[in-house]
Amino acid sequence: MAANVSSHFISEKISKVRWLPEELQQSERFITGSWDMNTNYVRLWRLQANTYEQNVEQTPQCSDKVAFENDITGMEFVNNDTIAVGCADGHLSLLSVQRAVEEDQIWRTARSERLHEFKRSCTAAPCTALAVYGSDIATVGEDGSVNVLNANNLKQVKLTLNPDSMALLSVTYVNQNELVTANRMGVMRMLDVRVANEAQKKISLYASCQDAKSSNYVSAITTHPMQQHVLICGCEEGSISVWDLRNMKYPASYLSAHNSPITDIGFHRRNPNKLFTAAEGGEVWMWSENNMAFDTDQKDGNSVWICGDRVRALVNVDGVLTNIRKAINSFDVQGSRLICGSDSEAIYLVNDIQ
Amino acid sequence: MINESPPAFELGDTLATRCGNTLTGVFVPGSSKIALSAYRPVKWNSRDAPSETVGSEDFVLVHMAKEASLFEEPLLRSLLAETTVTFTTLQTLAQSQKSSTKKITEYTKISSSYRSVIRCCLEKLELAKKLPEVQENDAKQKLFAEAIMTLYSVECLWHLFEILYMQQQHYQLVVPQLLEWTRFHYPQAEDEATDLLLMGEEASEFDNYWQTLKKLIMFGQLDVTRAILSQQPQASQPAFQAAEQLLKSMPVYQEGYALQKFTTQWEYWHSDLERKLTAHVFATEPELELMMQLVAGSNKHWDAELLDSHDWYEYLPGYLLYTKPSCKPFELRIAATNWQNRWSRQQPADWKMSQLSRMVLQLMKHEVKQFIYDTQKLSDSHWFSTHIIDLIHHTGLLTTYFEQQGVEIPELRQSLIYDYGSYLMTSHNLWQLGIDYLDHCQQEGLAAISLLLPHIPIKTERQAFKIIQLAKQRGFVEVEQDICKVLSKRAYNDERYGSALEWAIRAKDVLLVTAIADFILKNYSHTGNMLCKDVITSIGARMFVSPRLIFLLKYYEFYELYGQREFLAAADLLVNLLDSKITPDYFWPTLLIDALPLLESEDPKIFSKETVAILQHLEMELVPLIERNKRARKQPSNQQTNETALKDYRVEHTEEILDLMRLACARNLARAMIIENTSNIS
Repeated sequence: MAANVSSHFISEKISKVRWLPEELQQSERFITGSWDMNTNYVRLWRLQANTYEQNVEQTPQCSDKVAFENDITGMEFVNNDTIAVGCADGHLSLLSVQRAVEEDQIWRTARSERLHEFKRSCTAAPCTALAVYGSDIATVGEDGSVNVLNANNLKQVKLTLNPDSMALLSVTYVNQNELVTANRMGVMRMLDVRVANEAQKKISLYASCQDAKSSNYVSAITTHPMQQHVLICGCEEGSISVWDLRNMKYPASYLSAHNSPITDIGFHRRNPNKLFTAAEGGEVWMWSENNMAFDTDQKDGNSVWICGDRVRALVNVDGVLTNIRKAINSFDVQGSRLICGSDSEAIYLVNDIQ
Repeated sequence: MINESPPAFELGDTLATRCGNTLTGVFVPGSSKIALSAYRPVKWNSRDAPSETVGSEDFVLVHMAKEASLFEEPLLRSLLAETTVTFTTLQTLAQSQKSSTKKITEYTKISSSYRSVIRCCLEKLELAKKLPEVQENDAKQKLFAEAIMTLYSVECLWHLFEILYMQQQHYQLVVPQLLEWTRFHYPQAEDEATDLLLMGEEASEFDNYWQTLKKLIMFGQLDVTRAILSQQPQASQPAFQAAEQLLKSMPVYQEGYALQKFTTQWEYWHSDLERKLTAHVFATEPELELMMQLVAGSNKHWDAELLDSHDWYEYLPGYLLYTKPSCKPFELRIAATNWQNRWSRQQPADWKMSQLSRMVLQLMKHEVKQFIYDTQKLSDSHWFSTHIIDLIHHTGLLTTYFEQQGVEIPELRQSLIYDYGSYLMTSHNLWQLGIDYLDHCQQEGLAAISLLLPHIPIKTERQAFKIIQLAKQRGFVEVEQDICKVLSKRAYNDERYGSALEWAIRAKDVLLVTAIADFILKNYSHTGNMLCKDVITSIGARMFVSPRLIFLLKYYEFYELYGQREFLAAADLLVNLLDSKITPDYFWPTLLIDALPLLESEDPKIFSKETVAILQHLEMELVPLIERNKRARKQPSNQQTNETALKDYRVEHTEEILDLMRLACARNLARAMIIENTSNIS
């Protein structure tokens, strides 16, 4: 467990947490989204110097909030001060942040039509995740559909795809034109955002699982920030599968990791040598590439992550947070700071990510 | 702070008024609500006549009553969440192998971390109370005031408990800690003192100057008093000098000091003070003299000051400091009783002791049993009693006391944790906290979890997965499956068959999986539409849940091969399917019709042996089926079921298949035999 962790109880179960992007400095502001509360909020926080205790340097102060209709399920920045927020009522919203010296502000600028719904009963289907590329936003929902919108016009849906007849749990952009979605059965599909349903090439990847007879959903996917052909996903059984998108027949690597479902997975924004995983059991691990070992036979464009069985030897694993006991639902890293949101209704701030 | 009498309800609807306001109530299962409605008692001796309410327009109104809880306020949630963490830390600590002395310091730490959680929460409440949105909202303001009141009492009692029962030093002197305790709970004097100190020399002109100094003395804060006095312009006068000298030289007990020696010193110092007072050393300064009278413990003067105090225990520690500085816990009992009597004599006749004061007295009088009884009456949803008894249980404090009193602490702890955990689990969105408590009360707790988990309303699948994960960790396979089943049914009713099938597979429920697979197969044989192809293709090894699912998957494989014009492989698979003995009755026509184009194709795809097998299936399976169907159709009772049972979208009458198939088989058999035999010869 990292030495410098502070926890702050904020009376909300947190489903998403993101640092506000800052160009030149360490961000002092972050936003959280809550779930399963009487009223769910997206809150804007700011770290302020702590005047009371010596061992905790900073405490977050809520500067502003926006009430939402249902659970917050996805939150990504479109640009420096616009956030796309997916909600369990099937809508997508855009929020704007105004940074100020005294009180920062956040407000809702746009809300889409209902993007996800169950056709038969005409009830809202929760939007489960969203991904952003440039000004494009892709949302996936429990109805198994994918919607692509542009942040400049939420009223118009650019494209709707129905790849699955069950809930999709996660989505990410592989490049400008291609998306990867993952469903409850652990099937991931590569979708082209330029073509309609019928013309989609049927490319699917199956997450590996220790026991082929048990169900294993994929709950989080991400791509390597530099080597975009490396796709990493975290599964229900707590394992990590890695694909080389240039060769999609088999997963390139398979690592058993946590012993509870993985909730979030992501690379360090600036330092792609580091991967972080968070799990339902209350853990955050940091996987750092062991460059010394890898340099010896480094080939062009090859990542340690696709080295199959050797990955274990090439990557060091450290527990950043352990023993939280409640699910860590989301995290975000910026600079040397990691922030986590948890079901324990607390934010955990880790200050010394090396 | 507490309800002395049980709460009373009045419904006030017309029906209830007419029946003489009698009510009936039922506990709503799975929640902490009570449903109340008007009720008229009918007994054996009531007259059997139509009641006067017959034909009246009054509706029966059902009212829901719920125990008010502080913790619905979002700010107070953090108290619950944070204490859950401390609670679990305590449980792991209790199970660890550390030595008992080490543990005791750890326990004290836990106790103070509980208290710091309360203090932190109090601070948040005080801040929030000043917000404009709360100021305008009366209900909220009332709630906040009540919450502050309750939490404040809890902290105050917990602190006192910690001092008297947890900090077991070998010299066992309680006065210094008690002074600390009052200092925290009556901070006004200290605030005023700070102001005076900042004012410097001018302070003495301040109206409240002497009043504040007196208070400081009564709170036993000698150092601050001296500091303020030394700022006096007349500080160099003999009276002040003497006072300074006396206050400075007051013996303070230090650890490792012989108690006997200390007492002698203190006696000497005290008689010195008395002597100076009788010699009127301070007579020039009446206010200072009064102060010194207090220091001397003059009953007359203390009684006068008592009139202004807020509560009986406010000045007790100060008084003890000047009259009995080496007071031990068992002596405190007598001192507290006397002091309380003295205080109450000063009160007006209709004065009533508040709950908090009574509980403080109970603690000081060592009436812990009564104290524990009273903690359960606080309106904090048993937060305090649960946590303190859990702590008492783990630290093993007062074991002999409780044995004598016949209090079974382990049982009490268990039932309190159980109640508290169940309360959290059944309250909206606190279930994740409740589960931690129920985990620590043995079998009953686990049983409660397994009962309560499936009752949590599921809004999204992500939440469902969280609940499933909790059940999985505890090995509640049934709970896990129940939740999956519910979700499967929900999806099925919503015509999301793919989702329904997947949930059913997760539920490992053979009947449910079979039913959904049946539905998909029947739908196919009626319409030619294969539902949720994406799910069927990715089921893989999970198909072994149900034979029907295996059949569905294999048939789909055939369907795909056929669609891709891989006829040889398709034919092979089809024959396998025919032989497999897992074909459901209603699917025979479809399966055999599927064989038709393969039999009739120009170059034979099916060998003679297989053709014979197909023919055999036709005669052995389909013919009897059709016969049975016909017979059944004559009985109008189950006409519906059978008519739908045998059907394929490609033919109008199932009977037609027979002729077509027989012909096709015969033709194919002939061709196949010729080809096979020819190739054998060559």
